[in-house]
Amino acid sequence: MGLYRVVVVVSYKKGLKDPEAETIYRDLILKHGYRAVKELRIGKQFTLLVEAEDSEKASSYVRELCDKLMIYNPVIHDIEVTVYS
Amino acid sequence: MITVLTTEEINEIRKVLGREPTAEELAMFEAQWSEHCSYKSSRRLLKLLPTKGKNVLIGPGRDAPAVEVFPGIAVIFKIESHNHPSAVDPYNGAATGIGGVVRDILTLGAKPIALLDMLYLGDPSDRRAQWLIKGIVRGISDYGNRIGVPTVAGDTWFDSSFNTQPLVNVACVGLIRVEDLLNSKPIPGDVILVAGNPTGRDGLLGSSFASKSLSDEPGRDIGAVQVADPLMEKVLIDSIVELVQKRVVKFIKDLGGGGLTTAVAETAADFGLGAEIFLDNLHLRAELTPLEMLVSESQERMMLVVDKQHLGKVLEVLGKYDVPSSVLGSFDSSGRIKVYFRGKLVADVPARELARPRDVYRVSRPPKELVELVSPVSSIPLVPVSKALRVLLSSPNIASKKWIYEQYDYEVGVRTVVKPGYGDAAVLRLDAEDVRGIAVKGDANPRYTSIDPFRGAANSVAECYRNLVSVGSTPVAFVDEPNAGNPERPEHFWYFEMMVKGVAWMAEELGVPIVGGKVSFYNEDSRGRQVKPTATIVGIGAVEDVRRVKTLDFKQEGSAVLLVGETFPEIGSTEYLARVHGLEVGEVPIPRPNQELRNASYVSKLVENDVALSIHDVSLGGLAVALAEMAILGDVGVDVSVEKVVCRGCTRIDEVLFSESQARYVVEVPQERVEVALNLAEALGVRVSVVGRTTSKKLFVVRANQQAVVEESLDELRDIYERNLSELLE
Repeated sequence: MGLYRVVVVVSYKKGLKDPEAETIYRDLILKHGYRAVKELRIGKQFTLLVEAEDSEKASSYVRELCDKLMIYNPVIHDIEVTVYS
Repeated sequence: MITVLTTEEINEIRKVLGREPTAEELAMFEAQWSEHCSYKSSRRLLKLLPTKGKNVLIGPGRDAPAVEVFPGIAVIFKIESHNHPSAVDPYNGAATGIGGVVRDILTLGAKPIALLDMLYLGDPSDRRAQWLIKGIVRGISDYGNRIGVPTVAGDTWFDSSFNTQPLVNVACVGLIRVEDLLNSKPIPGDVILVAGNPTGRDGLLGSSFASKSLSDEPGRDIGAVQVADPLMEKVLIDSIVELVQKRVVKFIKDLGGGGLTTAVAETAADFGLGAEIFLDNLHLRAELTPLEMLVSESQERMMLVVDKQHLGKVLEVLGKYDVPSSVLGSFDSSGRIKVYFRGKLVADVPARELARPRDVYRVSRPPKELVELVSPVSSIPLVPVSKALRVLLSSPNIASKKWIYEQYDYEVGVRTVVKPGYGDAAVLRLDAEDVRGIAVKGDANPRYTSIDPFRGAANSVAECYRNLVSVGSTPVAFVDEPNAGNPERPEHFWYFEMMVKGVAWMAEELGVPIVGGKVSFYNEDSRGRQVKPTATIVGIGAVEDVRRVKTLDFKQEGSAVLLVGETFPEIGSTEYLARVHGLEVGEVPIPRPNQELRNASYVSKLVENDVALSIHDVSLGGLAVALAEMAILGDVGVDVSVEKVVCRGCTRIDEVLFSESQARYVVEVPQERVEVALNLAEALGVRVSVVGRTTSKKLFVVRANQQAVVEESLDELRDIYERNLSELLE
């Protein structure tokens, strides 16, 4: 058993509008001349410290939790789960 | 290509065009001939609704109706449903519902001043239902708060039939001076502008078009999902209010269901015009095919029709608010809609035929199980009334809706006169200096309409009427929204038909027109069972003086408590029968339009003569619940005797206390004015009885033969009334 830091990022699926990101991109980034930025997306990040046998188990444990507890809406959101030991 | 058009409809399109349709044309027909846009199944029945009245400035047909509530002052109000989007993505589904109905109000140039939400939701203890409930309420609250329009009233119901398919009916109210009302006709040469969000792939004809040829990534159902953008809505509101004040726009239409196609086709058809559209000009969020541009339902977009000479000024105002826009083309007199993309004519269809498909005749048949549902109930066991009252006060349908309305900014804009929860309807001032105001309320009873759709729908109208009267307003107009199942199934369609007939009948009897509305079909769960069919009514009333408005909380000890109207042993389909005995059956209480009119005019007289201290209509849960709510909210005790209640044909105490007989009000009258109140009742031929009095003890007491059958402390009742829903949802 070990402790793993699991980071979950929930964001709107690609192709869906992301109004908050668009506003920041347009009214903050572009307005202040940071023209090299071509796209901006916003997400919500969860960091969990999980006790598990290995990193794969930690990841699947967190994925299951996200599905069952409806942490995100699979119709509109993508989730990205990354494990750090 | 996958299409929901039937073979007959495709043949009809071939006939209209005299050739094979292009892919773009087919998509336009599919969008416009959908049930949602064309009302093809419902139009025939909607003609039954009484829509005319001396105050009606604009009736059904435009994006929203207009009613003159006071000389020179118009109220624009509209109801909209976002049931299906909210079932998939509760947060954005509900939020975009608000966005759409607000834009409907804007199309007539009015400033939106209030929102209402009528939510028919699943069982809060069901996990999926709870997730939907929370998302829906948060979606409405976030959107409404961010655009700065208060959510002031509504209706909430919880029932397991809505567990996976909730009903999210929202309404918006706007105010405008009659002279400013945007009511001019587009003419040939007028420019067509699209303003607001850049068009994207979101909302593409729903799932039927999520086919490979349309989507970058097949199988993705992005079509059904639209992300709400309240910031864009806010600048749209501000810019349109300014454009209307400057009188530089002629006509506005929302780009809602059916997108660009519907907006252009309906406008052209309504005014006998044609149009030329150049899709290359449309501002986009992603690269789209011309077909996608024509039927995308991206939110927060509107079509503005502008006289050529004002175009510069319009673009200037839009630019000032950072509202992106594009000049798409113009109207002409051809009667045809011609769409060009990269120099090529991609669609060329007659506007009228596109906008108005043939009526579809739907078979209507009452379901077999109806006989059992409507049979009168008999021999239910007697339960101690004290226990029954506690069960009812904790019912999520009756319990305080604080958990919901406390998430809303109901006071932004300083117009709110009556706080949510304290009046039978919300009351809003016309403006800070004016003593005049309007009352608004939304109502439905899904149980009634699922058992007897005719009576149930009629009772929704009557309840809305009573709610408006209770606060001291004069009902002026209604809008309606029947939410029904699958129109292709006769047993579902029957409910729709009967609901429309019930609404039409009661509105006619009460003399209050149905000035607009919306229809929602296909409200089914995944197994094809319809949710409880529901007829939602939103009403507007005129308030001459907001200082005379009545709330429902008892005001003082020692007042007489009057019951206006007659009680009948009508226990069928009541909240009492459902919650206490677990039965959702029985005769729905009889609609009584004559008594509604007579009793309402009596209550209005009491308000006028300053005789009433508080007023509450008797509805869900019956007399006992109405009294308990008045006592709890006022923190004033009450002592009533069941023998004093005029109850023709009642044989049991539960009939007296929990019957949901229509046309009744409870009124608190100071002791010294009781005689005036009773004399007035006699003069008007209204049944009124003094059933008890308010007391100095903080107790809720009901007596039968002098014996107290209920004796509860107000604190305890309040705890039950206020805690339950929050606990279920937290």
